[in-house]
Order: sequence, then C-alpha cells, then structure tokens
Amino acid sequence: MADDVTTIITDIKNIASDILEKDVSVVRGFSERQVEAIAKQTFLIQKGVESGDIDEDLREFFLDGLEAMALNFVNTLKGILMVTLEKLWNALVSFLYKAVGIVI
Amino acid sequence: MHFKLLCQKILPLQILLVLLAFSSCEATLAPAYDQAIVGKVTESSDLAMRFFAEVDGGTTNESFAMREPIYNTLIGAFESLKLQAKARPVPNNTALEKINELLKSKGSGAISGEYPSAFAFEQIALTFKKMKETDREQGIKPLALQAFKGQIEIFLDQAITYESFLKR
Repeated sequence: MADDVTTIITDIKNIASDILEKDVSVVRGFSERQVEAIAKQTFLIQKGVESGDIDEDLREFFLDGLEAMALNFVNTLKGILMVTLEKLWNALVSFLYKAVGIVI
Repeated sequence: MHFKLLCQKILPLQILLVLLAFSSCEATLAPAYDQAIVGKVTESSDLAMRFFAEVDGGTTNESFAMREPIYNTLIGAFESLKLQAKARPVPNNTALEKINELLKSKGSGAISGEYPSAFAFEQIALTFKKMKETDREQGIKPLALQAFKGQIEIFLDQAITYESFLKR
C-alpha cells in the first residue's frame, strides 16, 4: 500500500515536472526576448525624437504602441499559463483515472 | 523571472483547486491550435521582413506609388489573420468562469475572447496603416522606419509564440 502510494506520488511529480520544465523554458525565452526588444524600442524612439526622424505625431503613435505591446506581453503570458494549466490538469486527471482503472 | 511573478500574482494553486472543484474530467481552457493561422503568419511575416529589407534606410514620398500595393497586401493579410484568430470559439466552462472570478478578485484582467494573437495582428495592421500614411505624406526617415519595424517584430513575436504554444 505504502509502496503504491509512493509510486503514485512519484508519477504525479514526474508528470507535472515534465510539463512545467518544458513550458517554463519557452516562457523564459519569450520573456527575455520581449523585455529586451521593448527596451530597445524605447531607446530607438528616444533617439528618433532627438534626431528629428520621429515627429510629434509619430512620437504619440509609438508611445501608444509601447503601451499596447506591454499590455499584450502580459496577456500573452496569461494565455500561455492557461495552456500550461490545461495540459497539467488533463495529464493528471488522465493518470489518476487510469490509476483507478477508468478509461477516459 | 516574469513568469515567476505572474505565477505568484494569479496564484496557480488556487486555480488548480478551482479546476479540481469544477471540472469533471478533461478541461479546455484555451482555443484550439490552427495550422492555417500559423502557416499564414509565417508567410505574412516573411513578406513583411522582405519589405523592410527593401526599404532599409528610409523612403521618400515620390516613390510611394511603387510600395502602395505591398502596404495593401500586408494590411489585408494581418486584418484577415485577426479575423481568423478571433473566429475560434472561446472555451466556456465553469472552471474558466471561476478562474476569471479569481483573477478579478486579485485585481487582474479576465481571460476573454480577446486572444493575445488577435490583438497583436490588429496592432500589426494598424502599424502598417500608419506607416503607409506617413510614407505617402512625407516619406519615412531611417529611425522612424526602424521603430515601425521594431513595433511589428514585437507584436509578431507575441502572436507567433502564443499560436505555436496552442499546439499541445
């Protein structure tokens, strides 16, 4: 009994770890790319305004763009998190159902 | 780092508990993966990057007429992608409703029908529209061109990452 419980716990941990490790590495890569790109974009707008390449009208447009991209960066992370939760949930439910002998 | 912060903010443990309480077996919390959307984004982003390579260094409005058809193609392509991305049914179940209530109670926005990729496609189309208007009126100076390109690349990354991630 104790051995069976230990095996189930280990299997659940392995299922969760496999999904989380893979997904977190995707999220980390995406976050790093986005933060760096948004920082570069901010610097570029600043340089463009100073040099006169970006006029008042374009400056407003790019500032609105920065706000929209920051907002959507967070929303993309939320969307990815929902997919991860879904995968995690379905994998665990499938394993637990199989463990008690029910086929989904 | 950001993922950890996000995880802390929306309390995934509570979300899993909500799932446990309100789901009977398999849950659907995100839209279906659509190969047609991913294929079209790849094709359209390739066209966009080739266009940026052609106008590298800036443009003058005298030669705008030569570029106008490409602007129209790109605006049309990304507006069509926005519609395709939005057209997918929004997962709607008790678990998702409860998660949204939980997010709201934590001061965070709900997961809605506004998919991040659809928003990104809309922003890309708007950016090309603004770029076309600027090009027609006065031409585009080098740093402004780089800023247009940077904005489009950031939204493309968001859309491609999200759409690819839906393949589970």
